[in-house]
Amino acid sequence: MEVIISQENGQMVARLIGRLDTTNATQFQNDITPLMEAEHPNIVLDCTDMEYTSSQGLRMFLMLQKTVSSKAGSMVMTHMRPAIREVFDITGFSKIIQIE
Amino acid sequence: MKKRFEPIEGRNAEIIETVMTSDEVAQLNEELQFKIRLCVEEVEENILCYSGTQWIELEVTRDNGVLRIHFKDEGIAFDPLAKDDPDIDASLENRQVGGLGIFICKQMMDKLEYTYEHGCNCFTMIKQID
Repeated sequence: MEVIISQENGQMVARLIGRLDTTNATQFQNDITPLMEAEHPNIVLDCTDMEYTSSQGLRMFLMLQKTVSSKAGSMVMTHMRPAIREVFDITGFSKIIQIE
Repeated sequence: MKKRFEPIEGRNAEIIETVMTSDEVAQLNEELQFKIRLCVEEVEENILCYSGTQWIELEVTRDNGVLRIHFKDEGIAFDPLAKDDPDIDASLENRQVGGLGIFICKQMMDKLEYTYEHGCNCFTMIKQID
């Protein structure tokens, strides 16, 4: 999983590329740390090229959402592939994380 | 496909790829492969993290349009199906991070079976593929 972070119109945009699983979840956690540094994080996770996530990945997204919410920020996941969307739906994650 | 992995440390990815490249799975459509990869990873991760086993035996069979993925290990007896499902309606504040893996398997596979036989955990995932 590769994470490319850029600033666009006051938002932090992170492009997530590849597979997120148990072998790289710790690295992913380090990679997304800069997203949480703002006083009120305003984050877009662009999932166009995210191919896969396991429950380890879901844990990371939950942790990120909890941090963002605790700092009165916002987070949205965009362009999620249907197979991944299904994982978010069946686990109830699409009710606590905004997906567009 | 039938293969025994011993030792198992650091072989998470190898175990998953062995299933995904097996004759029984490699030709399946993308949607099924996604689900199988996910469920194999979740089960394998549970075994590697919690069972204390020195080995895992994996067997994949395909018969009359039914795929069976069978895991066997000699770790401590643990029935993952006996655990309560996570509360998927919990609010963000109350949402817990654990217990998602087996829950995902329950949703994505047609049937899960667990038995403890001759000192081994035997866990099988069954999925209709045709």
